[in-house]
Amino acid sequence: MSTAANTKYLLICSVFSIAACAAHSPEIVPASSPEALRVTATTAADTAPKEDLRMVPPEAYMRTYLTLFGGLVPVEAQKRARGGDGAALFDTWDDYVSALGFPDYRLDVPRQTQTNALMVAAFERLGVALCDRTLEHDLKSKKPVPMNQRLVFAFDIPRAPASLDQKAFTPKFDLMHRTFLGYPAQLAPPDREARFFKLYSETVADHAKDDPKSRFSPEEEGWATVCYAFVRHPEFHLY
Amino acid sequence: MDYVVRADRLKFYAMSPLRRFALALLSLGAISIAADAGSAQTSPTKTLDDYKHFRVLAIDLAGRAPTREEVTSFEQPAFNVDGWIDQHLTGPAYVERMTRIYMDLLRLEPNLNFSAAPAQLYRTDVNGPDGKPIHVFYRSGQRRTREATDGEFCLSPEETGQVIRPMAAPIGAAINVTKKILDQYTVVVKPWWLYRDYKEKSPTQLYGKGWANPDPDYRPVEALLNEADGKTPTTEVRVCREEAGTEAVGHIYTSGRVKNVAATPDPNVKPKYAGGRVKPAPLDKPYAIAHKNEAVPCDGKMGLDYAPTCGCGIGLERCAPNSGNGETPAFYYPNHMPLGPGMPLDDVRQSALRWYPYWWSREAVHFINYLFDQDRDFREILTGRETVINGPLTQFYKNIQRGNCCGPEVGFGMLEEREPLFEPKNVPDLEPQDVGTWKVVPDRGARAAGILTTPMFLEKYASARARGAALYNAFLCKNFNAEKTQLTPSDNPNLMQRPGCQNCHATLEPLAAYFARVEPNSFVFLPAAEFPARNATCKKDKNGHLNGTCNPLYDVAFADNTGAMLRSAYGSPEHADAAPAGAAQDITKMPEFASCAVERVTSSFLGRPTTPDDEALLASLTSDFVKSGYRMRELVKNIVKSSSYRKANNLSSTSWRGGQ
Repeated sequence: MSTAANTKYLLICSVFSIAACAAHSPEIVPASSPEALRVTATTAADTAPKEDLRMVPPEAYMRTYLTLFGGLVPVEAQKRARGGDGAALFDTWDDYVSALGFPDYRLDVPRQTQTNALMVAAFERLGVALCDRTLEHDLKSKKPVPMNQRLVFAFDIPRAPASLDQKAFTPKFDLMHRTFLGYPAQLAPPDREARFFKLYSETVADHAKDDPKSRFSPEEEGWATVCYAFVRHPEFHLY
Repeated sequence: MDYVVRADRLKFYAMSPLRRFALALLSLGAISIAADAGSAQTSPTKTLDDYKHFRVLAIDLAGRAPTREEVTSFEQPAFNVDGWIDQHLTGPAYVERMTRIYMDLLRLEPNLNFSAAPAQLYRTDVNGPDGKPIHVFYRSGQRRTREATDGEFCLSPEETGQVIRPMAAPIGAAINVTKKILDQYTVVVKPWWLYRDYKEKSPTQLYGKGWANPDPDYRPVEALLNEADGKTPTTEVRVCREEAGTEAVGHIYTSGRVKNVAATPDPNVKPKYAGGRVKPAPLDKPYAIAHKNEAVPCDGKMGLDYAPTCGCGIGLERCAPNSGNGETPAFYYPNHMPLGPGMPLDDVRQSALRWYPYWWSREAVHFINYLFDQDRDFREILTGRETVINGPLTQFYKNIQRGNCCGPEVGFGMLEEREPLFEPKNVPDLEPQDVGTWKVVPDRGARAAGILTTPMFLEKYASARARGAALYNAFLCKNFNAEKTQLTPSDNPNLMQRPGCQNCHATLEPLAAYFARVEPNSFVFLPAAEFPARNATCKKDKNGHLNGTCNPLYDVAFADNTGAMLRSAYGSPEHADAAPAGAAQDITKMPEFASCAVERVTSSFLGRPTTPDDEALLASLTSDFVKSGYRMRELVKNIVKSSSYRKANNLSSTSWRGGQ
């Protein structure tokens, strides 16, 4: 369409539009009677104020940690976590106390109610120490530890190369799930166990093929890694 | 009444998980469980929300996440959640949980030293007659009748070869002190920190030898247990003769020295003072001249300042030892124990100057613990005349505290504390080494007012305004927020009237006035008889000044030629006379006291600040709290059994599930 034709078309449209507007009188909306709206359905509303999950208080975190470590007092747990093998898995509680979010009343430092990078790093370090030392206690003691005295790994693992079988993995995983998160794995999101099993399997396989210089066998390393995953799990740190 | 029973409950945490679990089961009625680690059955009746609720309850009331054995127990059909709650509301974790709420608010731990001058014993070394070093304890500023040593170490520089003063390295080369001099000016004592039976004529129960079962938490540092060679166990200590004095009452001493006379009138020649001392001996103060030979109590500051016969008492019990000539370690105790005294994170050598502040803090915690453990009327946190103390605190309240008084008060005729916040006669009999034995003291005295008159509160909040603001915030849930008002120049000393200041100070000054009778940075109580709120004897002089006696305690800004106002009292002289006990009565009668307590505890358990949407819940909880007689256990039970608690923190149920 040429420019002239285009202009002519717009002009015709404008004329018709103005004519259409002029043909209608303003619409009058009559006032409605002040009746209540008709109830069409009733549904329960939860009006309770909502907040996101909160951080487990550092006192409760530390007590939980000590309980997992066999109900030790902090100084004894520190000694156990440090060990005598030069692994440098753990420093001292004094090094961690502020990072874990404890308040310092002397210096008027309030308690931390949200995580930060340093705190997460402290959780990580404490968690690894817990997993490694309890694995040594539960699975690597010279004298086998009775099942009811095991701290975290209350199951046996095969000495031979592991059969990476999810069916065998399930009850052990459930036990650790209960230990750290407080409920059965069946109630967890459906793919959680599969994801953990993948982590376990890959760790075992990697550990076996690389022939690393490690205190742990591939299967032990696999379960230690599952333990690491639990101690850093958000559900472990939130409530 | 012994508090030991409750203190023992802290050991609950030190038990093995199995033992704790067994105890928990017994108390729940012996629910049989399958503890077999391999049995991982899911309870058909429990939902994820049920498990989550149990975990929240465990964290809040048991102080930790549930163990897998407890989860197994929870899954049993017979498990009774309400019964579990009731049981844990009497447990130590509940007490700790509740105390934490108020410790987070008040932060009652010391970042301070306490150095009442008469209480500090410093230790220096001198060369003995055989040339070997000998420890000698002494006090700073001790009056002595010998000019060469009056107010200084008891052996003169000419006798030791050194100028010895506290907090400083000795000056000069040590010479051997003769036996005659040593015996003349020092004595040996079996002190309280070494002997359990130090009050006996011939103590025999030495720490580490003969003292059966010392409290495991009472641990003097090695330097106090060994002689200067570091090896020989100390069985007695050498102390300056005056410091070893055991008299209860001394007499004001005057030396006759009223003017300094240098040994030489030539200013270019270094003056020589008696015994080689580098500073002249103290002159007689006007008070000493006016009250010569009058009796003064030996356990107060007057004894140190005026009476050479006043010492540290039997076994040096009125003094605390340093292991060196300054702020040096004396005892082991923890720096950090966030889980309570049964579970310290460390055990380190600490200065004697921190010994009593450390125990003040423990007193505050034990007092609050006691209120929650015994489910006392919560108003007692402010009004209670009781407290809970141990051995070091009995020593403090009986002996050490009194050394804090009197300085400026002497000018008003108060030579020793007349109306202490804790009456010494009400202090129970415990030995200074009984660090782990805590006793409830039913009545500290007429001026006691819960946490408000504990040394820890009064030192943490050192000024009257700080004390008033802490009270306002912690117990009425209110804050002082400045208005957006331009501050205009003003010379009005009355902050309740000054534009821009009045917004806060109209409330703060009357609150501060309640604390006008407790000295700032101290806990000396100023009785109304000696220190009226408006004192007609403290008048401005022609230059607009108050005299030196009035100035430290009375406020020149609120003085005229007819008298002056006690410092911090101008906001309300009536409140000043009511003192902290009056503040406690007035505050606890305010409706905000109950609603604030409910709001604080509810907010803590819901894990979030309360909002207007919680109004109905808070109103209901407050009503029940008041009806229950301000019992926290009832309040917490109502909170944790409420649907709001169960629904709290569930906004992100998807994110709860979403965590993989």
